Amino acid sequence: MNFFEGVYTLFTNPNYMQSLFKGLQITLVISVAAAVMGLLLGTVVALITICPDSPAMKIPKWISKIYITVIRGTPMALQLFIMFYVIFTIRDFPEIVTATIAFGINSGAYVAENIRAGILSVDVGQTEAGRALGLTSGITMRKVVIPQAIKNVIPTIGNELIALIKETSIVSMIGMYDLTMAAKIIGSGNNMASYLIPMSVVALFYLAIVYMLTFVIKKIERRLRAGDKR
Amino acid sequence: MISVKNVYKDFGENGEIKVLRGVSCEIEKGERVVILGPSGSGKSTLLRCMNLLEQPTGGEVWVAGDLITAPDPYLYPEWLKQSATYEKMLRRNKKEDEALEEICRNRLLSKREGRAFENMRKAIEKEKRLDINLARRKMGMVFQHFNLFNNLTVLQNLTLAPVELKLKTQEEAEEKALELLRRIDLEDKRDEYPAKLSGGQKQRVAIVRALAMEPDVMLFDEPTSALDPEMVGEVLDVMKSLAASGMTMVVVTHEMGFAREVGTRIMFMNEGVIAEEATPEEFFKNPRHPRLKEFLSKVL
Ligand SMILES: Nc1ncnc2c1ncn2[C@@H]1O[C@H](COP(=O)(O)OP(=O)(O)OP(=O)(O)O)[C@@H](O)[C@H]1O
Ligand SMILES: [Mg+2]
Repeated sequence: MNFFEGVYTLFTNPNYMQSLFKGLQITLVISVAAAVMGLLLGTVVALITICPDSPAMKIPKWISKIYITVIRGTPMALQLFIMFYVIFTIRDFPEIVTATIAFGINSGAYVAENIRAGILSVDVGQTEAGRALGLTSGITMRKVVIPQAIKNVIPTIGNELIALIKETSIVSMIGMYDLTMAAKIIGSGNNMASYLIPMSVVALFYLAIVYMLTFVIKKIERRLRAGDKR
Repeated sequence: MISVKNVYKDFGENGEIKVLRGVSCEIEKGERVVILGPSGSGKSTLLRCMNLLEQPTGGEVWVAGDLITAPDPYLYPEWLKQSATYEKMLRRNKKEDEALEEICRNRLLSKREGRAFENMRKAIEKEKRLDINLARRKMGMVFQHFNLFNNLTVLQNLTLAPVELKLKTQEEAEEKALELLRRIDLEDKRDEYPAKLSGGQKQRVAIVRALAMEPDVMLFDEPTSALDPEMVGEVLDVMKSLAASGMTMVVVTHEMGFAREVGTRIMFMNEGVIAEEATPEEFFKNPRHPRLKEFLSKVL
């Protein structure tokens, strides 16, 4: 069986296709849910870290710092294992939820750093001008700083989401049925008995998702830029 | 209008960079005070202390009869007399006025000065202190680098603050903004973003953005220093017509012609203090301070 025949078989065999789509579904669900969680968590943590120092903010700031340091300083696979085998060991707890939480927490740390950098990259003169007019720091943030920061962070957040989608493939290491796992199963001895073909096809799937996401991000970026250069 | 009382400002982790070293001045309504001085003498810092973009390390700033900084105990003898430090000095047989003088000179107050002292601080805070955001509405500020809001159009730059602070409805704010833009001849740029304007146009818009809040006083920090020479004139013209309309102005600048022509009073800053203060004629004709003579010989 040559490569192209193999690809043809894979695409025409309903069982194989079903496996692929089952895997795709899990990959997408984890990615999207974790991305949403990561963006929310990341925004909150970023806002905490850029808050001016005050006694009330001391503990939240401290927690945020530890969170970012630990998550960015340890491997994602290890975080996933800890989540599965140490924290969510309750029987029948849905594994897709556990995985989503693990990836959401991970992604949040990176998003927080991106957003923080994006906000800090806005010239302080913008804030000073707002405050000098008598605007509160909250209004200045909302109406002046954050809109400019968003423009700065869209590309880096986009990269973060792309990395997240690809990284979800490690859930196959703990036996979850995602795209990568589907490739493994289709390629195993009981089925096609060749990993090359399903792995290549699945690679194309990832590539297609990332390509579409890149396209969307570029669109958003262009739309935002159109705002200040007409 | 603005009253600066013995203001100190230090920068750095431990306050090792001493920029303002006891500055006092009064800006009266209708005055146009020009602040001159060598680079690094603290002109910008003084201006920024007036609207609390910098928090003074010591001293007080009053705006239209309201205290906008924390009250400064060193300015109130009756308050100092409540302090533990003062009592300790009296017990060591110091004379009353000597003790007060020494406390002020060496800034001897510490964190723990006793209950009576604290109560007095709280009473003054409660009675005189005005929220800084309210005080800033009365003071327009124009920056060296314009600082127009890059994400907003010219018109939106002018309407943001009045509308967000609920001083005007959107329609009222736009009407006022258009009138101001007409005054600087930039009505046709109302829907442009700042990136599309020249430096001179940006600074003119920045001036009317401040005016849109209908301030009682305008602070200018080297408004023409970042401009190409051919654009300086158009900005100075706007400032001159503002002066002619009776606006109270405090202007940090290196434009000697403007200082002489428009200023009602000139202050010369040197090493964190106001070294000399005079009317423009007096200032340029009879400079007394040696550093001022040197400064004028360089810039004129
Ligand atoms: N945020 C800051 N941190 C540390 N040092 C500062 C800060 N702001 C100002 N300084 C220092 O304070 C001194 C006075 O600064 P300031 O900007 O008030 O001077 P200036 O008289 O306005 O000078 P110029 O004509 O150059 O604008 C300078 O030596 C400057 O380095
Ligand atoms: Mg300056």
